[in-house]
Amino acid sequence: MDSNALIEHVTRQRWFGAKTRTVSHAEVLDSVVVRSVEPELTLDLVGLRYDTGAHDIYQLFSGAEAEVARELLSAMRSTLKLQGTEGVIDFQPAAGFAQLSQDIGVGRLVSSEQSNSSVVFGEELILKVFRRLEPGVNPELEVLRFLGEHGFENAPALVGWYEYSGGPLTATLGLLQEFVAGTVDGWELALDEIADTPERFLDRLPRLGEVTAQLHNALGSDAGDAAFCPEEPSVEALGLLTATVDEEIGRVFLSLAEDDERLAPIAGRGEEVREQLRFLTHAGSTGRVIRTHGDFHLAQTLVSGDDWVIIDFEGEPARTIAERRRKRSCLRDVAGMLRSFTYAASSTELLRGASVPGDWEERARRRFLDSYLATIDPTLLPAGDAAIERLLAVFELEKAVYELRYELDHRPDWVGIPVAGIERLMHAATEAL
Amino acid sequence: MTSEHWFERDPLWFKRAVFYEIHIRGFFDGNDDGLGDFRGLIEKLDYLDWLGVDCIWLLPMYESPLKDGGYDIANFFAIHPDLGTVEDFREFVAQAHQRGIRVIADLVMNHTSADHPWFQESRSDPTGPKGEWYVWSDTDTGYPDVRIIFVDSETSNWTLDPVRGQYYWHRFFYHQPDLNFDNPEVQEAMLDVLRFWLDLGIDGFRLDAVPYLYEREGTNGENLPETHEYLKRVRAEVEARYPDRVLLAEANQWPEDVVEYFGDGDECHMAFHFPVMPRMFMAVRREDATPIYEILDRTPAIPDNCQWGLFLRNHDELTLEMVTDDERDYMYAEYAKDPRMKLNLGIRRRLAPLLDAGFDEMQLLHAILFSLPGSPVLYYGDEIGMGDNVYLGDRDGVRTPMHWSGDRNAGFSRADWAQLYLQPLMDPVYGYQAVNVEAQLRTPNSLLRWLQRFIALRKEHPVFGLGDYRPLRGDNSRVFAHLRTWEEDILVCVHNLARSAQAVQLDLSAYAGMVPVEMLGNTAFPAVGDLPYLLTLAPHGFYWFRLRPAEEEE
Repeated sequence: MDSNALIEHVTRQRWFGAKTRTVSHAEVLDSVVVRSVEPELTLDLVGLRYDTGAHDIYQLFSGAEAEVARELLSAMRSTLKLQGTEGVIDFQPAAGFAQLSQDIGVGRLVSSEQSNSSVVFGEELILKVFRRLEPGVNPELEVLRFLGEHGFENAPALVGWYEYSGGPLTATLGLLQEFVAGTVDGWELALDEIADTPERFLDRLPRLGEVTAQLHNALGSDAGDAAFCPEEPSVEALGLLTATVDEEIGRVFLSLAEDDERLAPIAGRGEEVREQLRFLTHAGSTGRVIRTHGDFHLAQTLVSGDDWVIIDFEGEPARTIAERRRKRSCLRDVAGMLRSFTYAASSTELLRGASVPGDWEERARRRFLDSYLATIDPTLLPAGDAAIERLLAVFELEKAVYELRYELDHRPDWVGIPVAGIERLMHAATEAL
Repeated sequence: MTSEHWFERDPLWFKRAVFYEIHIRGFFDGNDDGLGDFRGLIEKLDYLDWLGVDCIWLLPMYESPLKDGGYDIANFFAIHPDLGTVEDFREFVAQAHQRGIRVIADLVMNHTSADHPWFQESRSDPTGPKGEWYVWSDTDTGYPDVRIIFVDSETSNWTLDPVRGQYYWHRFFYHQPDLNFDNPEVQEAMLDVLRFWLDLGIDGFRLDAVPYLYEREGTNGENLPETHEYLKRVRAEVEARYPDRVLLAEANQWPEDVVEYFGDGDECHMAFHFPVMPRMFMAVRREDATPIYEILDRTPAIPDNCQWGLFLRNHDELTLEMVTDDERDYMYAEYAKDPRMKLNLGIRRRLAPLLDAGFDEMQLLHAILFSLPGSPVLYYGDEIGMGDNVYLGDRDGVRTPMHWSGDRNAGFSRADWAQLYLQPLMDPVYGYQAVNVEAQLRTPNSLLRWLQRFIALRKEHPVFGLGDYRPLRGDNSRVFAHLRTWEEDILVCVHNLARSAQAVQLDLSAYAGMVPVEMLGNTAFPAVGDLPYLLTLAPHGFYWFRLRPAEEEE
């Protein structure tokens, strides 16, 4: 394929993340044969250069995802090393691999979005393929391995992975994990139940709070592992956090269209929002910092009977691996889930046309938080309820601003949700003081 | 996964990098003993990560009697015990790499401390194995054409050693004897030093005092062909076994001599551009862009795989070796009114006091620095506009502790005040109560917050590191304007050097129809037409524009 055809091919993929940028050049950096018998299949690393000169590296398959995935699985089973022109791919099975049946059946592509694609095998395994590659260990590989070793059971087991090392970079290409069967997507369930039986969903939330706290307790449980041991934040930690969120608010508000009705409640109020942020962080601490889920919301959960399973530990795909591996306050995850309740309530109205009881969201927050706070190791939190509330508000604000930018870029019809969230936080923040 | 695997393989990373120079002793005290160390440095990596630093340059960290700020090395294979251990260093590099930050360190190849066991052996056993490792002579008359660099403290480059009864050669202080690079064993020994640190994960070296490795009768002993030959050998060694590392030459020379240190892209990856630095200060004070245009015109093209290192201030005096006598007099008159501020051929002051704490001037000079072809090197403390203390000896005045907060000892150390290696500044303008990281983090319009945004902006555009430079002389000599181009990215950078508002007409006719978009605020300006493009600039104001094709709507 020449550069233009390659550009054409890559940019129309759903997992291609840089839709707003212009690709000026594309080339295959390395090509690894994963099946040599006809029809031959290859895995390619493709470098893209944008018109500003910046670049990305993507993982491409020459054939259908499901077919290539099947080859990747058998390579993991045999711990293969496959040689490319510039480097080598290592395939590794994890502990659970040995128990798998020999015939894993035919794969089916289940999703292909947000920088990766997933293939499911026989309702037993799921292979996640990272499309945009970054140097270093993928956080999901690191976290799933750690959680498996530290006895946290409400996450899928790691079954295997494959990684590339060579000329262009060293990177995790994909990982194979247990497909948690007999579950429903937490987000879909939320929408269904909030529409039909809102109380029923509320009754599920104490368990979600408990599982979330257990996840954080597990992530903060090993002082001997440098990548995971809880740390005291540096003196500047809160200052750096505040400055980062503050800049983000500044940037988003700078780009807001002035004549957009949906933005009216917050338009021109960027300085007020930043002022609130400074109030919230004027004195305080972030508590100890640990590795976190990093992108925690209802769509990252599965419900199995009355229990919850937490999935997708990759972190926010738009951030760099260094950022996603950074230790942070566990309350950042909590804030993500609280924002997700807001989204669930609004989406139920938007998508299901159902009306949601006015106090539903507030009750959901309470049910979830009470149980979370009862279970979490208190040494991971800042001291005192007021400090916890304030830090939560900071993270919710960070989240809402991030959502605002995301919705403006991708789903303008949804802009109202973060707008309402930011508006609410401007009041809530003052009340918390 | 090893430490370097946190990076994409990229042999030209240094061309897009922002460097940050750290005096370890002065950065952060991790063990409460009154001076900074590697443990402390690890604690501040998140700060440097936030600021947007790509590569840390460490001042000398080796065992040393510290008679010359550690540039007098007594053991190349050990960390100075004040700063930590080799293990601490390894941990620091690993932690930096995990954050995507690289690390280079100062290395002095030219000389050692007189305390170094090599010198002790050489002086006491002239016929022994180290007898010829230094430059010995029976007389002090050799190499008469070589200048004395530290004119304030040395009268000759030869000093009589009472132990050996011979004179030894030293280009700098008398307690820093020059190694004899004509001796193949010395050449090998220095390569062993490089390999030792490269194996620990370091990303390169800033090679101190690199023009002086060899001496030859009848020459001024600088930039000799033998020196270049040895550096090429060093490069070949590094390239063969350690990809993506960088050699940064400190050669305080005119550009036409410095470019020799790039070879044909087979010697040093980077070299500092010394002469452009004083001219930026001169241009601002004279309100005249000519000095900057002239020195850039005089700067030869360099190989594609090489890069200039650009800086405003560093740990040394603001050197005035690469200016004319008249220009030096001008610089002294304008920037060193108090004789204490002078040192050797330079001015020992930090950025903010040089500019009388002028916020606009500090922004303007950073804008010029960041817009020029090269990689900017920031000096610790200048990002918050720290001051200096001209009453301290030598260059200590610009090496005082970093101001982290308004707390005791500027948040730098929990040791007793008297125990600190140097005291933080306490004066009302630059003291740590007024100028510190904590306060500036909290203030959106502070220099620190502005610089963080500015670094992020520069990093979005590889053109600054990779692109061509073309002067764009308008009809107003108080305005320094130029073009940077790379791939489809075309930038116009316009800087007003004057303390009054200025107008300028620029010939942008080659880009007629394109729309200049101001990069800090993303604001579209009127499209370029057939007439000269007219701009008005606030006092010390500047614009960076990206030229957007007419049809591209955003």
